[in-house]
Amino acid sequence: MNVGRVHGSILREQKEPKDGYEPVPLWLLTLFFAIVFWAGLYLAYYSGDFRADVFNPARAAAGAGAAPAAGPVDPKVIGKRVFTQNCVICHQATGLGVPGQFPPLVGSEWVLGGDWHGDNHLVKILLNGLQGPVQVKGETYNNAMPPWAQLSDEQIAAVLTYIRSEWGNAAPPITVDYVRKMREATAGRVDPWSQKDLQAIPLEKVPEAPAAPAAADTPAASPAPTLPATPAAATAPSTPQ
Amino acid sequence: MNKLPLIFLGVFLTFASSWVGLVAYPYFALGRMQPLPDEDTGGYFPPSTPGLADAGQKVFAANGCVYCHSQQVRLAPLSTDIEKGLGPRQTVARDYLRAQPVFLGTMRTGPDLTNIGVRQPDANWHHKHLYEPQTVTDWSVMPPFRYLYRLQEIQGQPSDNAVKGLSGPHAPPQGFEVVPTDEANALVAYLLSLKRNYPLPESPEPPVK
Amino acid sequence: MNPHSLFSSFNPANEPDTLASHERAEIDASTRLPVLLFFGSAILWLLIGSLLGLISAWKMTHPGFLDQMAWLTFGRLRPAHLNTVIYGWASAAGIGVGLWLMARLCRIPLIHSKLLISAAIFWNLGVFVGVLGILAGDSRSIEWLEFPGYATPILFIAYAFIGIWAIIMFRFRKPGHVYVSQWYLFAAFLWFPWLYATANILLIWQPIQGSAQGAVNWWFAHNVLGLWFTPIGLASAYYMIPKVIGRPIHSYYLSILGFWSLALFYSWNGMHHLIGGPFPAWMVSASVVASIMMFIPVVTVAINHHMTMRGHFDALKWSPTLRFTVFGAMTYTLVSLQGSSMAIPSLNTLTHFTDYTIGHAHLGLYGFFSMMMFGAMYYIVPRLTGWEWPSAAAIRWHFWLVASGIILMVGSLSLGGVLQGLALYDPQVSFRSSLDYATPFRLARGVSGFLLLAGHLVFAIHFAVMLLKIGRRREGPALFAEPSNPGAATV
Repeated sequence: MNVGRVHGSILREQKEPKDGYEPVPLWLLTLFFAIVFWAGLYLAYYSGDFRADVFNPARAAAGAGAAPAAGPVDPKVIGKRVFTQNCVICHQATGLGVPGQFPPLVGSEWVLGGDWHGDNHLVKILLNGLQGPVQVKGETYNNAMPPWAQLSDEQIAAVLTYIRSEWGNAAPPITVDYVRKMREATAGRVDPWSQKDLQAIPLEKVPEAPAAPAAADTPAASPAPTLPATPAAATAPSTPQ
Repeated sequence: MNKLPLIFLGVFLTFASSWVGLVAYPYFALGRMQPLPDEDTGGYFPPSTPGLADAGQKVFAANGCVYCHSQQVRLAPLSTDIEKGLGPRQTVARDYLRAQPVFLGTMRTGPDLTNIGVRQPDANWHHKHLYEPQTVTDWSVMPPFRYLYRLQEIQGQPSDNAVKGLSGPHAPPQGFEVVPTDEANALVAYLLSLKRNYPLPESPEPPVK
Repeated sequence: MNPHSLFSSFNPANEPDTLASHERAEIDASTRLPVLLFFGSAILWLLIGSLLGLISAWKMTHPGFLDQMAWLTFGRLRPAHLNTVIYGWASAAGIGVGLWLMARLCRIPLIHSKLLISAAIFWNLGVFVGVLGILAGDSRSIEWLEFPGYATPILFIAYAFIGIWAIIMFRFRKPGHVYVSQWYLFAAFLWFPWLYATANILLIWQPIQGSAQGAVNWWFAHNVLGLWFTPIGLASAYYMIPKVIGRPIHSYYLSILGFWSLALFYSWNGMHHLIGGPFPAWMVSASVVASIMMFIPVVTVAINHHMTMRGHFDALKWSPTLRFTVFGAMTYTLVSLQGSSMAIPSLNTLTHFTDYTIGHAHLGLYGFFSMMMFGAMYYIVPRLTGWEWPSAAAIRWHFWLVASGIILMVGSLSLGGVLQGLALYDPQVSFRSSLDYATPFRLARGVSGFLLLAGHLVFAIHFAVMLLKIGRRREGPALFAEPSNPGAATV
């Protein structure tokens, strides 16, 4: 074994470190036990009963937050839920969209009806999607809205009714029958719509629903006749904000 | 007293406790999960990913996308993920059964991608975005992935799969087109497959306010 | 009693203990080649890692920077940076310091040290192959475990030698009191291979399905920090602080409490990286609890170090080893308390997914561990080479460059991260805003990268000059200033 030359750096060293034997301060032990106590409480409250299928720490047991079943649900509630699940991603919870990216729904002629915008266009967009440059409230957007044909007729009617009556929008509800009719009419179509495509289709309005309206706070139904044409916006029941 | 066995035992047991709780337990409780059958369509939740999307996961891993993009939807009030529209419900263990590796992510330099296939279902948009992100979103700091694409001369007709609508400094000059490589196609197929808006019993949709 | 008076000079206990010194010299000589090899390669990786980090930082604010080539894309450079600094710099430096400390404290020389030289070569080979693999596109994209499957076995083989040697040294230690640093090192050298093997098996070789991967991933990554780097750093602090000032550690009992509470609680922290994530609620809650429990070991160690240093803080003015070590030790307390606070779900709301986490990570790995390693190297290298650090000015430049660099980095990322988090939380605020808030702070972070790289260059050149023994031989240690009492220059 080689013994190295003993350098000055080693010679001047202090002895190797040693332990002192001061006692553990009482306050530290108290703090320790206080934290352990807190820890126990926290684990008791926020561990979901230590179940593997509870992913929400605020829930005590699975199933507590399950959606209530049975009974007809207010379509506006369905509509809001569908909107939150699917549309908020782009159009935002405020319905204002994202400037330059996703058009707003608030005060939009596409939602409420306009010069050439009819209810049929709105439903068709949901069924097949929309692509290419579109003008909304004077701004141009060029994105891709996916088709939502996988939603049921009830869901589409509900969500469209929702966006037409929320955020100050006021337009008549879209009925389930109308959605069904539109779905049949567009059955063979695969490609999304473009603004040009839709503009070529004459404006239509939802026929006044004979059945009892579900939502209590939708504005008065449009008095306009069921036939298409008459592009005048005078038939719109209330002016969008 | 010989300290070695005592220290070894202590070191082993303390380590083993977390090994049991954070490694062995999820292995048995989560790692053996099966997808749930979907009565409506005869498929499964989560739906199986097409082969190309599976290959796309590898491209996602190779290029380190996870370092800017997470794939997790969390509950309120801890987060506003659901309110912001990242997804309809909290993502849970079963949502990641098909993922290899699992790209949960820990940074949101870029947006969360849990449901990007729902938000952006157009393949051409993705190709444009990957090729030159700043031409699609001018404030983006995402790096361009032009090396996943080939610039080639147009032979007669433009190719079917050429990327449409390119602009910006790297747009193909007249007579040229940009064509995705297999890797780009796989990656986009993967991104389009990212849809976690199907229902799962262990993750109920939060009650609407 | 003045230890340097004529009267006390008659007490043999006050003479430099030449017997003990010869023993230490023999031990140092036996560790020289492997430790210097680990140090030298670690410093090289530090330079490479700093450069990779700097480029990655600038790419975050200038995405067009070096954007033509696949192997320079951010998604590959960033993990290359991470793995270079973790496995190339920090682990290699830690192994070198750990082996030297273990040999010194066990008071036996390192035998068959040539095998450890092979280990060092294999370790570097593994890191080299791994980093190239990441840049080539074979990254696993599993954080802290990105090395492709062909690199990890090389690291395993290297580690086998290292781990076995460290355990053997402990087994054959000279009889007597076992010092706290030895427990930490023994534990670290055992914990690391268990961590690495588990993570590789369950995430790479036989991957488990689903989000369980996330749990194993962050159990691994956090424990590399807490059960590999932290114990080595604390072992170094527990050695260097009392050694330089010549006082015993304040309390053996606090050392015990600190060690065992760290062992028990630290390993449960992993899930705090995934709060709100797709895991059973109890797992996340357990990690939140464990993260708060970390107050105990952290405060305990802080008291122990502080009470040992009390009355000797003026030594920070002149001792490079002590200054780097105490900077590291204070940062350890700060970063651990910060980490505990970040695990509280209501605060995690603000910091998760933001730059704040990145700042925290650098405060820990750099502000604590790397500074601790610098301090240890400044102490150890003269004893291995028989040469003093040639330039006190270089040490001073090193310190101020890296200290200002890390403070700028962590400060800017923390502030930016909080603003980013506020924007990400507010449903009325667009995603773009979170980016806009973060950008100026990311630019400041980029500047800090230059400071750090410059400091590392100074250190690397100084180290090379030291190894090559260039220049005039210095008598006595290189110090920042004249020590307050002559004869107290024990570094």
